[in-house]
Amino acid sequence: MTDYTSDAVEPPVVDISKSAGGTIVHESSREREILLTVTDVAKYFPVKEYSGLFPKTLQTRAVDGVSFDLAKGETLGLVGESGCGKTTTGRLITRLIEPSAGSIEFGGRDIAHMKEKDLRPMRRDIQMIFQDPYGSLNPRFTVLKIIGAALEIHDMVPKSQVKPRVQELLELVGLNPEHVNRYPNEFSGGQRQRIGIARALAVEPKVVVADEPVSALDVSIQAQVMNLMSKLRRELGIAFVFIAHDLGIVRHFCDRIAVMYLGKVMEIGDREDIYEKPQHPYTQALLSAAPDLNVVRGAVPNERIRLIGDVPSPIDPPSGCRFRTRCWKAQEICAAEEPPLEPAKDKPKHTIACHFPEVKTELVADVEAS
Amino acid sequence: MTVGPGDVNSTLDEVAAAGNEAGSSLRAATGSPGDSGRKKLESRSPVQIAFARLRRDKIAMVCAVIVVLFVLMGIFAPLLAGLEGQSPTATHYDLIGNDNLPSFYTNGQHWLGITSSNGYDVFARFVYGIRPSFLIAISASIVTTVIGVVLGLLAGFLGGWVDRVIGWLTDFSLSLPILLMAIALVPVMSQYLAGSEPSQSQVQQVRIVVLMIVLVFSGWAGTCRLVRGETLALRQREFVQAARALGAPTGRVLFKEVLPNLTSIILVSITLAIPAYIGAEAGLSYLGVGLTLPTADWGLDISLAQDQMQAFPLPLLVPLIGLLIAVLCLSLLGDAISDAFNPNTRR
Repeated sequence: MTDYTSDAVEPPVVDISKSAGGTIVHESSREREILLTVTDVAKYFPVKEYSGLFPKTLQTRAVDGVSFDLAKGETLGLVGESGCGKTTTGRLITRLIEPSAGSIEFGGRDIAHMKEKDLRPMRRDIQMIFQDPYGSLNPRFTVLKIIGAALEIHDMVPKSQVKPRVQELLELVGLNPEHVNRYPNEFSGGQRQRIGIARALAVEPKVVVADEPVSALDVSIQAQVMNLMSKLRRELGIAFVFIAHDLGIVRHFCDRIAVMYLGKVMEIGDREDIYEKPQHPYTQALLSAAPDLNVVRGAVPNERIRLIGDVPSPIDPPSGCRFRTRCWKAQEICAAEEPPLEPAKDKPKHTIACHFPEVKTELVADVEAS
Repeated sequence: MTVGPGDVNSTLDEVAAAGNEAGSSLRAATGSPGDSGRKKLESRSPVQIAFARLRRDKIAMVCAVIVVLFVLMGIFAPLLAGLEGQSPTATHYDLIGNDNLPSFYTNGQHWLGITSSNGYDVFARFVYGIRPSFLIAISASIVTTVIGVVLGLLAGFLGGWVDRVIGWLTDFSLSLPILLMAIALVPVMSQYLAGSEPSQSQVQQVRIVVLMIVLVFSGWAGTCRLVRGETLALRQREFVQAARALGAPTGRVLFKEVLPNLTSIILVSITLAIPAYIGAEAGLSYLGVGLTLPTADWGLDISLAQDQMQAFPLPLLVPLIGLLIAVLCLSLLGDAISDAFNPNTRR
């Protein structure tokens, strides 16, 4: 499909002057051009348990059979509580770690077990924005060197053009291009995150995996960085895999949402389907846990779904449905049989992994109303 | 135009303006916009910041000056000895009495007196004695650090069997009784390396090399472990992950991303190794397995002078105090460097 070796790959042409008032084309109104297909991907980490004379090697099933696809320019949100495998999924897609099973298809090729050398051209197309703006920039280097390294590795521009190009990128992410010779410690968290974004954009990727890009930032800075990412998505047509646990931000930013629990996808659907008509009990519980601002203004609070107990250990997940130990609908079949991800009635794009799906509305306060 | 809260829109306008200027392609190269007319901002790297912090440390600065003085004295030893008009290896049997002791304490020809038995000039031997100490200590600590850093980097970053093999080697090296080994090995190795009929200077050169080998052999493992641990921690940092996500080859990640972040521990390990090796070299020479007469060496001189320390303390005290000051200053300097590079220390 994509010829990585030649220069045939055109950089995304951006007309910034027009896009400010431009319309966002929703993927529903056109054919989805699939960029990335993840099929039954799994990652098990070995854990040694020291009981008795000989240590036993157990497997932590961080990600255990996750499937989804991502279309060009689309944003997929990965949500779920801590430890459900969101970050591991992101690292599998960027191939920072090798999956234990499953396939990751990108550009017509399975990159799941590709060797590092063969991966290099693909690395340009799938980039990552990291969670911790304080850890993601090498403290020993100036911004010029940090972003310049990305340009250098992939020979994006001739050597003489590295500095102007870095300044251009800084300007694109809303930083002063004069600051190219500064070190990361001279920037605030939000500015550092912008540098991280500029680095990811330097190689003109098709897919960006954003691993909780704003969760380490102040709320006011969060909004700025999210606005920047919205703008870049609009102008550059980059597809995002957006990992977050802030449901409000996900609703604001994502076209499609995948809800994960204990290494598995519970429900995938369009934003409206997930937020307004969630069908999986876990999704419903997650949404109902989000704070409701309207209560402050005097509205009657929605009834909360309270989950009992802790998330089971990923070393020894429950049989059948992973969520059954905390589910109020659980019956015998839930322990015996694992529910497959199946499309909801008359909604082929909304899939749910539950034996007893049921539409529940009014779980989240209407954002528009506030 | 530092971005503060709430000025995203103005930023967007500026971006749009820049976009228009540059044409519609993102890739189009613009000249650096607005380069002129704005004040150039001074930026300092973490290493520069650490050295600035070091410069404010008075103890460190005093120690640095003393260390520099010692080094200069070592370098210009022939000049200083020439000033006195003495040579470190010349004997003065005429000034030694029948009781094997010098006939005087100090005089105009021999500023700090002469040693008993052979009548070597103490001052000349003191300034010349700096040379083997610093030479062996500095070169051994550099070699130790290079070996330790390279092996530690590889073990920490590659992991797996590489880590295991290097781990075994470090454990082996650390478990060796190094003093016993030195006492046993130095004479044997010196004999072996020097050949059948070595000249006086060949013997000394071979001994210096053998001492260095022994010190390196005992010292690399500590640095290796330190670097391995730090590399393990750095490997998990997101900027290393980011470099890998960009497709940087392993060598580039190791030497361009990880190594620069080891500057501080490398510097600290060198500066703390030097005084340790000066002490070790003097100790081995004192025990008789280091350098031999007529070479001027502090450890050797201390062992020679200890018999007459009550009657003639100067031949003992001069090299001893020299050793003490050199080791103390280098150690304090090493501590200060370690503090300057560690942002967690506040004084």
